[in-house]
Amino acid sequence: MAKIKIYSTPQCIYCKKYKEFFKEEGIEYEDINVAEDHEAAHEMLEKSGQLSTPVLDIDGTIIAGYNLEAVKKILKIK
Amino acid sequence: MHDVIIIGGGISGFTAAMYAGRLGLKTLIVEAGLIGGVITTTNIVENWPGIKKISGEELAMSVVEHAKEYDIDIETSLIKKVKIGGKKGCFTVSSGSKTFESKTVIFATGAKHKKHPAKNADKFENKGVHYCALCDGPIYRGKKVAVIGGSDSAAKEALFLSEFASEVHMLVRGEKLLGEKINNERLTKNKKITVHTNTNIVEMKGDLLLDTLVIEGKNKRTKEFKVHAAFVAIGIIPLSELAEGIGVKLNKKKEIIIDRTASTNIKGVFACGDVTDTKFKQAITGAGEAVTASYWAYAYVNDPEYVCPRGEEKP
Repeated sequence: MAKIKIYSTPQCIYCKKYKEFFKEEGIEYEDINVAEDHEAAHEMLEKSGQLSTPVLDIDGTIIAGYNLEAVKKILKIK
Repeated sequence: MHDVIIIGGGISGFTAAMYAGRLGLKTLIVEAGLIGGVITTTNIVENWPGIKKISGEELAMSVVEHAKEYDIDIETSLIKKVKIGGKKGCFTVSSGSKTFESKTVIFATGAKHKKHPAKNADKFENKGVHYCALCDGPIYRGKKVAVIGGSDSAAKEALFLSEFASEVHMLVRGEKLLGEKINNERLTKNKKITVHTNTNIVEMKGDLLLDTLVIEGKNKRTKEFKVHAAFVAIGIIPLSELAEGIGVKLNKKKEIIIDRTASTNIKGVFACGDVTDTKFKQAITGAGEAVTASYWAYAYVNDPEYVCPRGEEKP
């Protein structure tokens, strides 16, 4: 199973959409709240080049912003 | 074939879908990505009748759920083309891979944030320059941030950011704030917020991340202002290209011109919400237009003299 990290803030609507999608599909993910964890915010910046949520790390592939089609493609979900 | 296709799944689009479904129209609503639309990025809505205070997301989702009470179809696709005519229908709406046909179309395509024109604003987008405080504001807990703009939306962004940031500076280009009195008073009372008028941002500076705004004052002198982030709220740009493609008349701001029946100049084509030429734009005004659009779409397809429109202009 793919290892998924989501860099998010609690208020971010696009982050919630990703998490809802993962739950619906029964996919496990690690949720990292960058509003509370400044080191994680820097990690997100290093990986994605941006300080903006959501950012996904799916087995090392980085998706910055909301792009469900790209996520489905990586996870091979129709 | 559907009686009506609603393009855009924001609060106006789903209100139109709710009413079209209620009127018994065979209804399809198509949304490109975020069901609920841009209001879901608004922290608090206080002007929806009957609800004193609600988050934009909760409000939008309640309208979506209300629409789902009726027999409507919902599709998630980015519509790339609308054309007049079809195999069976009067209008063809297509995403490239999927095609839908209908007797009428309601454009509820909304608007996007206007980008800041200052030098380097694009370079620092999502690297200190942001367009959604609700999404990215909490990252700047304990930091000094700016809000660029003087509208009511800008005021609400500043008030939300004050929950996290150590200082919030509202940088207003004009002489005064343009928002509602209630929010302007909240700004004044909030000790974390400072309002600066006659401040025009001409450049943004930094290394990897934004750290400085170059501000031109009324006297045309510039000064540098250190910030960790700037949240831009300087207006919206209507998403009217699809409508324009079938000859729908737009005004100078590229907004769809509608009449009191939410009709455009093209028969069978209606519009509602932020994409229209309504001057005062709120969720409630968009919802009102949406109900009007659905009713007149219903009246149009149920007219005993109805014939499939072929791009004719309304008399």
